[in-house]
Amino acid sequence: MTSKTKAKTKTKTKKTLSTADYLRMYTQMVRIRTFEDNANQLYLSAKMPGLTHMYSGEEAVAVGICEALNDNDHITSTHRGHGHCVAKGANFTEMFCELLGKEEGYCRGKGGSMHIADQSHGNLGANAIVGGSMGIATGSALRAKLMGHDDVTVCFFGDGATAQGLLYEVMNMAALWNLPVIYACENNGYSEYTKTEEIAAGSITARAEAFGIEAFNIDGQDVVAVNELAQKLVARCRNNEGPFFVELMTYRYHGHHVGDINREYYRSKQEEADWKENRDPIIRFRGWLVEQGIATEDEIETLNQEIKQDAKTAVAYAEAAAYPDVSEVDMHVYAETDPATLRAGN
Amino acid sequence: MREITLSQAVNEALVEEMRRDPTTFILGEDVAEAGTPFKVLSGLVEEFGTGRVIDTPISEPGFVGIAVGAALTGARPIVDLMFGDFLYLVMDQLCNQAAKQQYMSGGKLSVPMVVRTNLGATRRSGAQHSQSLHALVAHIPGLKVALPSSAYEAKGLMKTAIRDNNPVVIIEDKLMYQDKAPVPEEEYLIPFGVANIKREGSDITLIGTSSMVQVAEAAARILEAEGISAEVIDPRTIVPLDEETLLKSVRKTSRAIVIDEGHQNYGITGEIASRLNEKAFYYLDAPVLRMGAMDVPIPFSPVLEDLTVPTPEGVAENARRLCAGEMIHAA
Amino acid sequence: MPLDVIMPALGMTQDTGVLIAWHKSPGDAVAEGDSLFEVETDKATVEVEAQGSGYLTDVVAAAGEEVPVGQVIAHISETPEGTGTMPEAAKDEPGQTDDQAGAAIPEGEQVIMPALGMTQDTGLIIAWHKSPGDAVKADDMLFDVETDKSVVEVQAGHDGFVAALLAEAGEEAPVGGVIAIISEKKPEAPFSRSVTAQVAAAPAAPAAVETPPRTTQTAPTPKKSLPAKTATAADGRILASPKARRLALERGLDLARLVEHGHPQPYHVKDLDTLENLPAATAQTLSTAAPARYLSAEVPSNGFDEFAAWATKEAGLTDAGALMAAFAGSSLGRSDVTVALEAFNTTRLYAVRGRWLGDLTEADPDTAPDLRLRDLRFGRLSAVQTGPENTPVLSVLASGEGLKLTLECAAEQLDASVAITLLSDFAGRMEQPLRHLL
Repeated sequence: MTSKTKAKTKTKTKKTLSTADYLRMYTQMVRIRTFEDNANQLYLSAKMPGLTHMYSGEEAVAVGICEALNDNDHITSTHRGHGHCVAKGANFTEMFCELLGKEEGYCRGKGGSMHIADQSHGNLGANAIVGGSMGIATGSALRAKLMGHDDVTVCFFGDGATAQGLLYEVMNMAALWNLPVIYACENNGYSEYTKTEEIAAGSITARAEAFGIEAFNIDGQDVVAVNELAQKLVARCRNNEGPFFVELMTYRYHGHHVGDINREYYRSKQEEADWKENRDPIIRFRGWLVEQGIATEDEIETLNQEIKQDAKTAVAYAEAAAYPDVSEVDMHVYAETDPATLRAGN
Repeated sequence: MREITLSQAVNEALVEEMRRDPTTFILGEDVAEAGTPFKVLSGLVEEFGTGRVIDTPISEPGFVGIAVGAALTGARPIVDLMFGDFLYLVMDQLCNQAAKQQYMSGGKLSVPMVVRTNLGATRRSGAQHSQSLHALVAHIPGLKVALPSSAYEAKGLMKTAIRDNNPVVIIEDKLMYQDKAPVPEEEYLIPFGVANIKREGSDITLIGTSSMVQVAEAAARILEAEGISAEVIDPRTIVPLDEETLLKSVRKTSRAIVIDEGHQNYGITGEIASRLNEKAFYYLDAPVLRMGAMDVPIPFSPVLEDLTVPTPEGVAENARRLCAGEMIHAA
Repeated sequence: MPLDVIMPALGMTQDTGVLIAWHKSPGDAVAEGDSLFEVETDKATVEVEAQGSGYLTDVVAAAGEEVPVGQVIAHISETPEGTGTMPEAAKDEPGQTDDQAGAAIPEGEQVIMPALGMTQDTGLIIAWHKSPGDAVKADDMLFDVETDKSVVEVQAGHDGFVAALLAEAGEEAPVGGVIAIISEKKPEAPFSRSVTAQVAAAPAAPAAVETPPRTTQTAPTPKKSLPAKTATAADGRILASPKARRLALERGLDLARLVEHGHPQPYHVKDLDTLENLPAATAQTLSTAAPARYLSAEVPSNGFDEFAAWATKEAGLTDAGALMAAFAGSSLGRSDVTVALEAFNTTRLYAVRGRWLGDLTEADPDTAPDLRLRDLRFGRLSAVQTGPENTPVLSVLASGEGLKLTLECAAEQLDASVAITLLSDFAGRMEQPLRHLL
C-alpha cells in the first residue's frame, strides 16, 4: 500500500507536537486508507449492500482537522464520510458492521455508509444530501454559544456543496452571530463527474469572505500544515472569534462512488497517477516522520501491518455478525419521551 | 374561568416553557422586538433576551437546519415559520434531516424541536400565504403534527410539543389569533394522540381539524334544529392520531364526514376517511365523506376565496343527505 | 365619455381621504396632468392630477369632506355642463344606512376606527381627548386606541366641533366603524353614546375592511349526487350499505325481496324495517328455474350384504360405505367422480376413477363432490324427499327386506336421462354387485 519514502518531502514545518501525537496522526491516516481499501473490496466482492464513497487520498484533511478537536467537539460529515468517522475516533468493527447493515453497527444497521454517525465521539453523522449537514453544524455551534459551552463544530463538505444555497444562509447567520463553527471545504477538484471549475464560479474562499468570515486556502495533503491551521482556528473559535472557512485542496483516488470505475471520460489516469505518486498524504507524512526522527521505516511498517490485521479481523467479525431482528424495522421512528415530563407541575 | 385569545395562550405556553427549561429558545423572522407580524411573541424578548429569542435573516432552510443541529446537541429550539406556505422551503431540513435522525442513527440521535407555523385561508392573502399544508408533514414518518382548534388547545398542545423529544410541527389557524376561549390559570398540558369529543351525538360523526372544528360545531347546531344529532370530534393531533375515539364514534353513529382545510385531494380527509372505511366498514350505513379545501390555488378575490373552504352550511347539507340515505360522493 | 374622478388609495391602510381643497372649480377647463385637488392622507398632503382633459363637472364632494377611497367625486366631461348625472354615491357610505339608530346621528364628518394592525378586527377606545360640543382642529388628538400591541393616539382629521361620540371609552368598536361625528358648526345637542346603541353598526367601507370569513351560503363541496334512488343496479347486484348487509345477515333477512318489491336502492339500515314488514314470501327460495327431480328404486338387500361380506373376507375391504360410494360414482357415467358419503354423522370423500374397486381412493378434502350419497340404512326413516341440494343426492334406506334408493337433484344438475341412468345403474349394482364387477 504505502511504499517506502522516496523523494524528499519539502515541508517546512517543524515538529511542535509530541511524538505520540504525530504517531497517532499517522495511525489515523493509515486506518482510514486501510478501512477504505477493505470497504472497496467488500463492494467489489458483492458483499456490501448498496454503494459507498471512498475517502482515499483525502486522509490528511480529516485527520489534520480532527486531531485538533476534542472528543466533545462536534463534526458533521458528508456522503464521503468514513474518513471523518475514523478520524473522530470510531472503531473498525462497528463501522464495518454498519456498512454491512449489521445490528452491531453504529446505527444498528439502519443508517448505512451514507448516514453513519457516532455521537459518542461527537460525530453528528454523514449525510446523503449534499450540503445537508451545514445547517446542523451551524446549529450545533449556535447551541454551544447559547448554552455557554466551549465546544467547536467543524462542518465538512465538498467543493460541489458550495453550489447549495444553504451554505450561504448558514454562513450569513454564523457570521452575524459569531458562531464557533469551522466550514471545511474539501476541494478534491470534482463534483461527482464534473470538474469543479465547471460548477463553481469565482473563488470559493471569497464566498466566505463576502460574509466577513476569515477564509484560508491550504494544501490538504499536508497533514501537519492542516493540523497547525486547525489548532489555531479551533483555539480562536473557543475564544469567540469564529466562524472560519478553510478550503483544503485535495484529491480522491477512487471515483465518485465505488461503482464509478470507468471514469477516464471525466478524469485522466495520468492525473490520478500524479496525485497518487507525487502528492500522497500518507507517503509524504511518513517521509517527514522519518526525516524528523519521530519513527523509523521499520516501526512504520510494523504499524501498517498491525492496522491491516485489525481491519482484517474487523471485517471477518462484521461479515459473521448478525443482522438486526426484523422487529427493529419500525423501532426508533420516534424518540421516547419520559411521560413524567409531560405532566403539569413537572 | 378566564378567557384569553389564542395569541395570548400561545404566548403563555412559550413563556412558561422557556422559564421551565433554559435549553429552550426561539428563532425565526421578526420574533424579537416585533413579536412576529401576528404579535404572538410580544414580550418574550424582553423577558428572555436576544440570546433566547433570536431574529434570523430570511433564511428558512438555514434556520430550520440550524434548529436541527441545536436540537441534536442538547438544546430545544422552537422555530417560528411565519407562514405555513413556507414549509415547502424547509422540507429537506425537516423531512430528510430532522425526521430521520432518530431512525438513521438506530435510536442514538434525537431532535427535540418544534416548528410553529400557521394555516388558513379567507384572509385575502393570496395563493402563497393561505395554504394549509399539514398533509405534507403528516406524511413523513418521524414528525408529529398538532393542530390546535382554540386557545385552550393551543396552550396545552404547545407545552407538550416543546417537551416532546421529537420534531413537532404545530400549526395554528392564522384567522384565530384574536379568538377567545376559556383557559385555566393553573398549568395543564394536552397529550398528543388524544382526541376531544366536543359534542356528543348519535346520527353522524363530524371530525374537524383546527378551525374546522368550529365549522363542524356550527353545522351541528344547524342540524340539531332539524332533528339530526351530530357528534363533533377534534383529533387535536393528526400524528399521532387517536383512531380509537374516531372509530368508536363511527361505530355508534354509522356515518361520518371529515372536514379539514387542506386540499381535498390526497390530504388529511382522505387519510382519516380511509382509516374509518377500513376499520369500521361493517358499521357504515353511508360512505365516509371528505370535505377539504377546494383543489385550486387559493384565489385572491374575496367572493372566490370564500368558496374554497368548507362552511357550516356545506357540512350540514352533506350531513343531511347522508342521513337521508342519498347516494353522494365527495365531488 | 365622462371620466370618473376618484378619491385615490394613497396608502396601504387608508380607507378614506380628506379632500383638503379643489384646485379647479366646476365648469373649469382641465388638461390632463393639471393638479385637480389635494388630499390629506395619514401621512401627508398629496396633490392629485387630472387623468384626462375636459371640463370639471358633477362635483359631489366639498373641501373638508372625508371621502371613502374609490368613491367617485366628480367627472371630467366633454362640455362644461357635464352629463347631468351625478356620480353615484357609494351605496355603503358609512352612517347613511343605519335607519333605526341613524336618525340620531348628526350631519358632519365621520371619524372612523382605523385599522392599525394585521390581526385587528376591533379597536379598544382607551380614552377620548375631547367631549361632545368641544371645538377641535384636524391635528388635535381626538382619542386613544389600544391595539394588540400598544396604544395609539388618533387625530381628529377634521376641523369643527364634536357633534357626537358614538362609542364610549372602554368599548371596542369594529375597524371601519364610525365612532364620532365632527360638524362644521357648533352642534346644538351634542351627545355621547355607547357603541352598542348603534344597531346597523358595521358599515362596509369600499376598500379594505375584511368581510367576516365563513358566512357564505354556498357549500363548496359535494354538488354532484347520483340519482337519489335507482330501482336496480345495472348488473343485477344489490346495492346496500355494509351495515345493512351485516344486519340483514344477522337477522336472516333477504335483501333480494326488497328488490322484488321494487324498493329503490341503495339500501340502508332503515330499509330493513321495511323488509321485515313485507308480506311473507311464498315458497321458492333457491332454484326457481325448473322442477326438481325425484326418482326412486327398490332392490333386495341380500346381494349387497353378501358382497360386502365377500369383500371383507377376500379383499380386506371392510368399508361397506366405500363400496356403495364406488357403485354410485361409477354409475354417473363419467371418469373421475368425487362422491361424498354421508353416514353415521360423518362425511367422507371418495374419488372414483373407474369401475373397479381398486379405482377408489379417498379424495382430497377440499374437492367439491359431484354426488352425495346418504347411507340411511340403519336409521329409522322409511322415505326421504328433502328437495334438491347443491349436488345430486342418492339416499339408501332400509325398506322392508330390501333397500330403497332415491335420487334427488335440481333439474339443471342432471338431465332426465342422466338421472334415470344414474339411479338405474346404481340400483343394478346394489342388487348384484358381483355381476357388475366381474
